[in-house]
Amino acid sequence: MSVAIEYYVLLSMALFCIGLFGILTRRNALMFLMSVEIMLNAANINLIAFAFYHGNLTGQVFALFTMALAAAEVAVGLGIILVLYRNFRDVDVTVPTTMRW
Amino acid sequence: MEGLFDYAPAIALFPLAAFVIALAFGNYLPKKGAIPGIVATGGSLALSLAMLAAVAGGEEGYYHDTLYTWAAGDAASEVGPEGIEFTFGILIDPLAALMLVIVSLISFLVHVFSLGYMNDEGETGLPRYYAGLGLFTFSMLAFVYADNLLMAFMFFELVGLCSFLLIGFWFRTRSAPSAAKKAFLVTRFGDYFFLIGVIAIAATFGTLQFAGNDSFIAAAEAAIDGNEQLFGFGAETWVTITALLVLGGVVGKSAQFPLHTWLPDAMEGPTTVSALIHAATMVAAGVYLVARMFGYYALSPTALAIVAFVGGFTALFAATMGCVKDDVKQVLAYSTISQYGYMMLGLGVGGYVAGVFHLMNHAFFKALLFLGAGAVIILMHHEQNMWKMGGLKDKAPVTYWTFVAGALALAGIIPFSGFWSKDEILYDALIVGLEEPLILAAYAMGLVAVFFTGFYTFRMVFLTFHGKPRSEAAEDPHGVGWSIKLPLLTLGVLAVVAGIANLAPVYKLTGIELTFLESWLEGGLEGTTYVAYTELLGDVYDTGFIGTESTTVLIAAGLSLALAFSGAGVAWKLYNVPEPVRHTEKLGGAYDVLRSNYYQDEYQVWLAEGLTLPLARAADRFDQTVIDGTVDGVSTASLFGSDRVKRIQTGIVTNYAALLVTGFIVLLIVLGILGGWFV
Repeated sequence: MSVAIEYYVLLSMALFCIGLFGILTRRNALMFLMSVEIMLNAANINLIAFAFYHGNLTGQVFALFTMALAAAEVAVGLGIILVLYRNFRDVDVTVPTTMRW
Repeated sequence: MEGLFDYAPAIALFPLAAFVIALAFGNYLPKKGAIPGIVATGGSLALSLAMLAAVAGGEEGYYHDTLYTWAAGDAASEVGPEGIEFTFGILIDPLAALMLVIVSLISFLVHVFSLGYMNDEGETGLPRYYAGLGLFTFSMLAFVYADNLLMAFMFFELVGLCSFLLIGFWFRTRSAPSAAKKAFLVTRFGDYFFLIGVIAIAATFGTLQFAGNDSFIAAAEAAIDGNEQLFGFGAETWVTITALLVLGGVVGKSAQFPLHTWLPDAMEGPTTVSALIHAATMVAAGVYLVARMFGYYALSPTALAIVAFVGGFTALFAATMGCVKDDVKQVLAYSTISQYGYMMLGLGVGGYVAGVFHLMNHAFFKALLFLGAGAVIILMHHEQNMWKMGGLKDKAPVTYWTFVAGALALAGIIPFSGFWSKDEILYDALIVGLEEPLILAAYAMGLVAVFFTGFYTFRMVFLTFHGKPRSEAAEDPHGVGWSIKLPLLTLGVLAVVAGIANLAPVYKLTGIELTFLESWLEGGLEGTTYVAYTELLGDVYDTGFIGTESTTVLIAAGLSLALAFSGAGVAWKLYNVPEPVRHTEKLGGAYDVLRSNYYQDEYQVWLAEGLTLPLARAADRFDQTVIDGTVDGVSTASLFGSDRVKRIQTGIVTNYAALLVTGFIVLLIVLGILGGWFV
């Protein structure tokens, strides 16, 4: 017998909270990126778990799409971080505040 | 003959073409634009005469056509038609045809005279002058044959603009621009009421046509007959109100009390322009408008009585001021105001024929007098003060005799033209006055003014032409050419004989049919004829006689003649001496009052500076503080608010994420509470 759906949801929630915690506390942009990835994968776990639960493959297909998107997002994110470093000699997200009002 | 009417628009378009030519090519033309002007006004005169013949000989006796509709729409009128149209149209009925001939004739003669007065005197800026004259003539002619009130209003305004341009012709002097500005502003004050009147009439009756079945006059008559309520007033009261609003424009343009102050100042313009303004255009426009929509005034006894009283009062008021002036043009200016007062009196007492008759005669003799004064000014090397003239009688016989003919007509001496029309006006006023005390007062003022008219006219003639020369210029006058003598002679003949047009007293005494003008004005469109007006007036005024009709005619004519002769006689006694002296000191305090024109300018300036200016200042302050303050307050508040709110944007991504999450949680909790999850 397979694992009950609740555990998947709990795992996903735990991962999401870990990611959120990372975003709210960390200042390093790379950590940010990683936290975002963790949150994204929490959502992926949910998609696959519910797809399995319902016996419907749509969720799994979506998860594949999400992964591809995540790869693209990381590419863009890393690009931003590179530019950030070039301009500020740092990857601390609290430093670049010049664009506010 | 009827096909001739297709060329009617050209009457006004000829001078317009002359205006364009003079403006564009005037500097390259031999006489600087005078020749196109003369040709154009001559063409207008010929066409106007043809129209006169066509109206006289045609089957219908009038021409009415809409040329162009520039706006049409639903009418929100109280009565009458569903839709309203704003059009340009031509109405040539006996009245308009007569006026067209007068205007184009005077304008033609003024153009010819200008050759001698402006060209030969080496004036600069002549293309501008001739362009102004052309535009002036165009506006007036188009105003005369306008078939609706809005078109009339437009050209009325254009006439005002042209007078501004021409009065200020010598714009390098100090006084001319200010006189031009004054003429423009004072007439504009009256025109403001006129505009409101036009809108009121359009809003009430849904039409602005002068004549025909769908005219506002017919609609007003129907509304009065049907006892309708218009804008909360009885129909007759409303007609009175709108008629008086339109009268505002008339009072301004025709220089009636209290808006007459611009006219004496307008003497700053060239004398030829004064002749045109006073005889045929501008000032005549006001009285012509009353005659044009006489049916409307005839519906309202109150409006008529006001017209009559204003006219009678102005006639006397201006005549007294004319008696103390030293400048020959000033005397003529006040005589113009006074004579237009007579016309208003005539129209106001229902003497439609008399008013139009005097308008015609006055056009001839006043143009003659002004052109004569222009000739005198040339003779005198541009001196206008009568005390420096004298003795010109033998040196300039043509000018003298034509001037005397004009003066006799102006003073109303039998058998010159002015006598017949002025007498008819006074007779009409008298027979109504015998029943209505207010009109009797207006009549009395008109009658007294006859004495003053005789006095100032002959004071002017004697001081200018008689006695010994009182300056070097008067001893050796400058000669005048044919271009000056020809218009003078033409107008001189007309001033003498024009009275034949309507010898009403002769008809009333002997029964010989000599009232040509009356039968002329009986034709035309139904509702705008003298017959229709007579019917309307039958309800308005009762008339009475002293004894029989014949004795009344004789008494009225005798009284006005006696007064005219005594006025002229006093002038003869005082001023027809070799060395005339001023007698004005004998008037004492009255002299100062007359000399200062009854302080009319002073009180109007006071009204402007003491009342309007503070009011405008207060309004300005209100605008600057309250209105601007409100607007500024709104922007200040939002600026201040946004300055505080924008602090949320720290530029730190973490904070945004925290806000996002907090917002999401709050939203979730709210939805939960509302959805009842926690129950």
